[in-house]
Parts: sequence; C-alpha cells; structure tokens
Amino acid sequence: MTAAISDGVRTAGPPVTAVSARSPVAPAEQGGAAEPGFAASWVAAWNAFWFTPADPLPLALVRVFAGSLLAWSSAVWLLDADGFFGATAWQQPWNVWRMNDQPWQWSWYFVAGSPAAVRLLAGVTLGAAVMLAAGIATPLAAVVSLAGFISGYNRAPLNVFGFDDVLGMLLVAVVVGPSGDVLSVDRLLAPSVRAGRPSVLANIAIRLVQLHLCVIYIFSGCGKLLGGSWWEGTALWGAAANVQYRTLDITWLARHPLVTNVLTLSTLWWEIAYAALVWPRLTRRLTLAMAVPVHLGIGLTMGMMEFGLAMLTANMAFVPAAMLRRLLGGRPPRP
Amino acid sequence: MVSPVIPPAGSSRAAGRPAEAGRWSAAARVAASVLIATYMAAVILPPLAGPPPASVLAGRLLQPLRPLVGGLALGHGYRFFAPNPGPGHSIRWTIRRADGSAMSGTIPDRDADRPRLLYHRRFMIPEKIAALVPAADAPADVRAESKREWRPLVEDIAAHLLARHGGATVELSLVEHYLPTPEESIRGEQGADAVTPLGMYMSVDTARAAVVGVVPRLTGASR
Repeated sequence: MTAAISDGVRTAGPPVTAVSARSPVAPAEQGGAAEPGFAASWVAAWNAFWFTPADPLPLALVRVFAGSLLAWSSAVWLLDADGFFGATAWQQPWNVWRMNDQPWQWSWYFVAGSPAAVRLLAGVTLGAAVMLAAGIATPLAAVVSLAGFISGYNRAPLNVFGFDDVLGMLLVAVVVGPSGDVLSVDRLLAPSVRAGRPSVLANIAIRLVQLHLCVIYIFSGCGKLLGGSWWEGTALWGAAANVQYRTLDITWLARHPLVTNVLTLSTLWWEIAYAALVWPRLTRRLTLAMAVPVHLGIGLTMGMMEFGLAMLTANMAFVPAAMLRRLLGGRPPRP
Repeated sequence: MVSPVIPPAGSSRAAGRPAEAGRWSAAARVAASVLIATYMAAVILPPLAGPPPASVLAGRLLQPLRPLVGGLALGHGYRFFAPNPGPGHSIRWTIRRADGSAMSGTIPDRDADRPRLLYHRRFMIPEKIAALVPAADAPADVRAESKREWRPLVEDIAAHLLARHGGATVELSLVEHYLPTPEESIRGEQGADAVTPLGMYMSVDTARAAVVGVVPRLTGASR
C-alpha cells in the first residue's frame, strides 16, 4: 500500500509507506480500527499538506536565485530609472491607473519627488536584493526586496512582462518562510540560532510556490487552447519568425514542419498537464525534466533568459530536499 | 489503491521522522489556513477574471480581494503567447527641433537597448500599445472608443521622448512587423510591415515643461 500522501524522498531510513495517524489512508487498510470520516480525511490531508515541517533547503535555494534575479532586474531598472519610474517616465504617474487597479497597486515611486529620490529607491531595491541572495539580514532583506519589486511593477506597467509575474511569486515565498536558515551569511554568523531545522513555515512557503506554479501553467496552457495555431501545431513558428523576439535564428524550422508540430504540441500539452503530472512520483521527474528544455529554449531563442531562469527556479520547488542535499553534498537537517 | 501523490520539498520525513501535522496549535492552523486560502484565491481569480474571454463570476468574487491582488501585484492573466504567437511591434518616432533639424529612432532599439532585459522592458511598450490599437479596417466607433484608451499612453511616450531628446514636435507610428509563413521564409520573401500613425505631438507649455516635463498635445491625425 502506498501512502496517499507520501514523502517522495528516498532516504536511508525506513520505507516511506508508513503514514501518520492523520493520514487519509484508511486505517482499516493498515489493520486499524474505524475508518475516518470524509471531512476528517480532508482535514487530515490539508494539515499534512500545509503543516508538516519541511527542510528549508529548497526555499533557501529559491531565495538565492530569486534574490539574484531581482538584483539583476534592479540593476537594469537603474540603467533608466527616470525613464521607468520618474516624473517624465514612459508612463506618467497620473496615467498608471489606466493599466493598473488603483489605488491598490501602490508604489513608493509615486511619492519620489526627484530623480535622485527615484534612483535612491531603485538602489535600495538593488541593495536589498543582493542581501537577500547572500542571506544577510534575510527577513528584512526579503521584505524590502518584495516592497521594491512591487513598487517597480506597479509604477511601470508598460514595461513589465512574464518574468516579473514569476519573480513576484518567488519573493512572496521567501518572505513567508525562513529562507535564510541555510545557505546564508546569517547561518554562518549564528549557526546555533539558525540551525536549519525542519519548519512548518518553510513547508507553507514552498507549497505556495508549487501551487502558484501549477496555476501559471494551467492558465498558460488553457489560454493557448483559444488559438488555432496551437491546435494545428504551428504556433512555434510564430515565435521563431518574430524578429522582435529573436536572439537565435531557428527559422530552419520552416523546412521541418513536423518538428515544429512536435515542439508546439509537446509544449502545449505539457503545460496543460503539468498540474496533474508533477505531483505523482511516477511522472514528476519527467515533468520537471521537460521544464528545462522548454524554458531554456525560450530563453535562448527569444531572448527571455530571465523569464526562463525564474520559471526553472519555481520548478525547483518540486525537487525533493534530500535530492538537493545530495547534489550540494550536505547532510539532512537535525529534527 | 490510493494514488502516490507526493508532497516533496523535504518534509521532516526525509530525515527518517514521521510526519507531523500538529506542531502548530489548532488555532494557529485555522488562522494560517484562512490566510493561505485567501492568498490562493488572490492567485487563482485574476486569470479567471481577465483578460477576455473571462468569467463574470470570477470578476465579482475578485472584488473584495482587489486590495490584496493589487498590493502584492498578483493581477496576472498568465496567457503567455496566447491565443497565438503574433507579429512583433515597434514604435517609430521622429523628433523635429525648432532649428529644423530632426532625429529619429525606434522603441525598442535593438542596437542601443542593452542588456537584453532592458531591450525587453522597452519592447513591452509597443506590444502593450498594440494591444489597445485596433486594426485600421475596424469600425469607426471601435477606433474612436479605443483611442480614448491608447492616446493618453501615447502622449506619455511622446512627452518622454521630447523630455529626453529635446525638440518641438515628435511624430509616432506603430509598426506591426510582417510575420512570414514558413513557405515565404523558405522562398526568402518578406511582406510589408503595417504602419499605423499614432499622431504628432508638441510641447505647448514650455514654462510648465521646464518644471515638470513636457506636456504634449495631439495635433496630427491618428487612426
């Protein structure tokens, strides 16, 4: 009998077929007594899903990559901070409501009265992002990074795209969980305080990324079903032939329509099926493996490497912590 | 037989310990559950509520969550390259100065806008304007209605260009770059780009321009 909610991490310990008393697996099947009710099973499953302490390593890796991506993004914003956030920007502050839901989409750039203030605030975001990536004063750095990110996103709606959507998702997670407990300067400075023990908040944070990522793929895939070229298997040509996006010429695909079909349809159905296939152990590795060529391919051919890396970082939330520890050569955390 | 669904990411069982759902008190779990459910609703409802075609029900359910969605910048549609990957766009501009000299450029500028992320951020400007500008053969009332949406945004772009480069007037046009078919690509053929005038703008208040930037006014024809 396999546990309804099992670990998915193969370890040297006992087989992971054992489940807690709160497991939704019927006790009768385990030789137990009364079967829990339907509602009790749901509550138990909910609790096990959200409130099981988890190794903070995956979240820490998300923090390192998200912080690095935000630092790079902030540096690029700074190259034209006045143009994006200033009084004479591509979009004037008083016209932002035309694309945003004001007053809710706040931004600290709305109160920046001078070009120097704009650059200072953009610089604060950059500094916080660097600290976040390194794990220095991580909780504070995470909050300031998220605030800086949201401020940029909400001030310059003409200039944001999918990369920013994904980066925001990652930053919320590193704010929620103890993302600085491992792989951080904080850990080096206070190893006893930040022991990297399993944590419920680490689990909640990584769960938020997992579910949010499934939402992204579902809507991205279902949105494509509105278009004939995705059904026909020719959509990839539309991306390949678009000179504005192109960073790698793959117009040779014109001579290989069946290859275009395979690439288009595999991308489409992988996106649609992702939310179903990434959870079962049997299909998870294949599902995650597919993310690598899809997102690196988009990054390399269409010049959106930041978007690709952000999506791969989000996919990393599904990689078991034990596997990540083996890759990094570390030991499991102490309970 | 129950499906082997996996919650990965290193639960404590990875270290050989049983699952623990009960480290938090019941009250803490209930409070956290409410927050989690609210956050996930703020994640799921926006792509259901827009862009069109979208659910009216999702739009109504989203109303009380607008502060959270806006405050955390969660209002995304996630319809990447949907419904179909279409042609790319750019904006051509020409600035004329009082002394009769002129300069021109494009948004984005593949040569000048580096690194690539900077290019992409500027590339989003014509892409988002293009989403608001209807086809040239659209009904007149549709074009008039859409113009109320895109013109203020184009005025901002014009003001930015005049503030950055100086000049008396700036003329803008939206270029839809021809997307060749595979057959045309093999034959080496390239169709003509579709160009849509977005209007000519000028600074009419130089005194204010000196203080808060250029205030453009539409003086030319636009579709």
